[in-house]
Amino acid sequence: MEITESKKNDVVILGLQGRLDASNAGTLEQRVLSLIADGTSRFVVDCARLDYISSAGLRVLLVAAKRLSPAGGTLALAALQASIKEVLDIAGFSSIFKVYRSADEAVAAVQ
Amino acid sequence: MHTAVAITVRNHLSELERVGTVVEQFAAAHAIPARVAFEINLALDEVLTNIISYGYDDGGEHAIHVSLSADAGQLVVSVEDDGRAFNPLDAPAPDVDQSVEARPIGGLGIHLVRKVMDGLEYARRQGKNHLVMKKAIVVDG
Repeated sequence: MEITESKKNDVVILGLQGRLDASNAGTLEQRVLSLIADGTSRFVVDCARLDYISSAGLRVLLVAAKRLSPAGGTLALAALQASIKEVLDIAGFSSIFKVYRSADEAVAAVQ
Repeated sequence: MHTAVAITVRNHLSELERVGTVVEQFAAAHAIPARVAFEINLALDEVLTNIISYGYDDGGEHAIHVSLSADAGQLVVSVEDDGRAFNPLDAPAPDVDQSVEARPIGGLGIHLVRKVMDGLEYARRQGKNHLVMKKAIVVDG
C-alpha cells in the first residue's frame, strides 16, 4: 500500500492506495500517531484508491480516533469505494466516522 | 459443477496479498460476483491474520492449508493449521453501538467473518484447527 500525504491549512490529507491489511496497517498507524503527537488534530483519509480494508485497517482508524477524540480532533473518511463502505458498515464504524464523497468536501467539513 | 483450488500459505502476513489474488482469480474463473469475492477475501484474511499473528509460539515456519471450492451455488472455504487450539466461534461479538471511547480495539476480525459468511464450523482434530466457512453465491440480478 502507498500512502501520500498533503496538507491544506491545518488539515493533513492521507491518500491510501492499494490494500490496507495486517501486513501494512502498522506503517499507517505509526505515521498517524506521529502526526498526532506533533500536533495535527484534523485528518482526512482519502480512500479513492483504496481497494481493500480488513479489520487491521479499521483498528488503525479506531486507534487514531481514540487518540484524537479527547482533544476535540477529527478524522474523516473520503471517497470510499462501495466494498470499503460495506466493511465499515458491518463493523459499525459508519456511526463513528464522518464519510464524504471527496477529499475536498471532507477537508472543508473538518476545518 | 464442482470446482476447487488448494493453496499452501506460509505463516507470514506478507502472504495475505497473494491469497487475495488467488481468491480473485478463482472468482473470475467461475463467474462469482466481485462482491462475493471481496467478502470471501475479507473473511479469509481475518482468519489467516489470526492464525499467523497468534497461532504459533515457536517463531518457526508453518504451513496453513486453504481450499476454495464452488459447488451448487455455494462457496466453501476451509482452513487447516497446526497452531495452538483456537476456535474463532468462541470469540464474543463486539458491541457495534458503542462510542469511540468505549469501543474496544479487538474482536472486529471475527465479527466481520461472522457477518459476511453464512456458516462457520470449527473442529480440533489430531493437533490441527479445522475451520470451514460457507457462503451462498447469489448472482446480482
